Amino acid sequence: MAYTVAISGINAIDNPGPGTGIAKSLKESLLDVRTIGLAYDAMEPGIYMDWVIDKSYILPYPSGDVESYITRLLDIHAIEHIDVIISALDSELPVFMKIESELARHGIRIMVPSRQSFRDRSKDKLSELAPKIGLKYPSTMAVTRVSELDKAADEYGFPLMIKGPFYEAFKVNSKEEAEKQFHTLAAKWGFPILAQKVINGEEYNLVGLGDGEGNDLGHLAIKKMVITKLGKVWTNVSIRNERIFEACRKFLELSKWRGGFELELMLEPEENELYLIEVNPRFPAWVYMATGCGINLPERMVRHLLNQTCNTHSSYDAGRIMVRYTDELISNIKAFERLTTYGES
Amino acid sequence: MDIAKLHNLAISGTGFIFDPVTGNSFNTNETGLFIINHLKSGEPVSRLTSTLVEEYDVSAETAEQDILQMIETLRSHYLI
Repeated sequence: MAYTVAISGINAIDNPGPGTGIAKSLKESLLDVRTIGLAYDAMEPGIYMDWVIDKSYILPYPSGDVESYITRLLDIHAIEHIDVIISALDSELPVFMKIESELARHGIRIMVPSRQSFRDRSKDKLSELAPKIGLKYPSTMAVTRVSELDKAADEYGFPLMIKGPFYEAFKVNSKEEAEKQFHTLAAKWGFPILAQKVINGEEYNLVGLGDGEGNDLGHLAIKKMVITKLGKVWTNVSIRNERIFEACRKFLELSKWRGGFELELMLEPEENELYLIEVNPRFPAWVYMATGCGINLPERMVRHLLNQTCNTHSSYDAGRIMVRYTDELISNIKAFERLTTYGES
Repeated sequence: MDIAKLHNLAISGTGFIFDPVTGNSFNTNETGLFIINHLKSGEPVSRLTSTLVEEYDVSAETAEQDILQMIETLRSHYLI
C-alpha cells in the first residue's frame, strides 16, 4: 500500500533544512511512499529534486494566520490524501502542536512534542534541563540591556556567544561586536538575549526519535569533523559514546519527547565534561547520516504513526563518515512558473 | 597510567588509529603501532624500552624517545 507523506524544510541550501534528507530516507526505505514537499518559497531546491520529492506546494508562513495555514494544508490534503506530515522546521512546530488534533480529524498524522516538553528544551530552560540528564551547561546570563551585556563580557571574557531567545547565535570577539549582535538579535527575535561563556572543545550531536512515553525509537551520535561558516555540519563521523547515549535515555525518560530531536553537545577535553548546548525539536539536516548507518528514523516515525511494527534498535558502527557536497540540477522555467502562479509544482 | 581507553581504539595495520568513542583519529608509523599494541597488552613502560631495542635493533635512547613521543600523542588525544 502506498502512503503519502508531506515533508517541510526542503530548503537544501547552505543553511540546510532536514526535508530532503527525510524524503531521501523514506524513498530508500521498504515503505511505498509518495513524498509531498511543503515549501515556503518557490526557490527551495527540494521542489526541483523530483527523484526525492514527488510534488511540492507553497504554504503561507507559519508565523501568519493559523486559519490560512490549516486551510492551505487541507486544500493540499483534498488533492493528495496525506497520511503523515513530518514537520522539519522549528518555526512550524508551535502551529502543528496547536492543530494536531484538527489534522487527526482529517486523517493526517503527525508526531510533535507536548507543549510542556517543547517549553522545557527552550534556550532559557536548558540550564535546568542539563544537570537532570547528566550534562553541564555553559555559564549564561539573560540580558536585556547593554550594561548587562558588558557585565557578562567582563565576567566571561571573549570570545563570547550572543544568542537570540529562540534562534540564531553569534560568536563575538569584542564589546562593539557583542553590542551590534545584541541589537540585531533583539530586533529580530526580542528579549532576553543570552550571553554565554564559550566552551572550547569538540562538537558532538545526537539525532533521536521518542515515542512520547519515554521510549527510545532509535538514535545515532556523531562528531562534527567540518562545519561551515554558518556552523552547519558538512562532514561528520559516527561514534559510539555511552555518556551521550545515557544523556539521550535520560532526556527521553524525563521529557517524554514525542518526535524527532537533536542534542547539540560540546566535549571540553581538559575536564572531560560534556556540555549541553541546545536541544533542537526536530530531525537535524544531517538525519540521512543515521539512515546511511542503518537507523532510518523517518521510516520509523512513519511506521509508528501508522501503528506498524518498527525497529527501535540503535545498533550501528562507529567510523562511518558523512560527506556533504554541492551539486547542480537543471530544470525548466515552467516549473518555477507553476509554483509562482499556482503555488504547486 | 590508565590504559583503559586504548582498548576501545580501532587500530588499522596502516597506522590509522580511530577512537570510536570520541571520533578522533590520527596516524602513526610501524614503531608507533608496536608501542600502542604493547601498551594495550599491559606491558609496563619501564620494560617497553628494552622490548623496542630488541625488536628494532635501535639504541635505548632512540627507543625511549619514540616511546615518550607516542605517550605524548596518546595524551594529547586524551587516551591515557
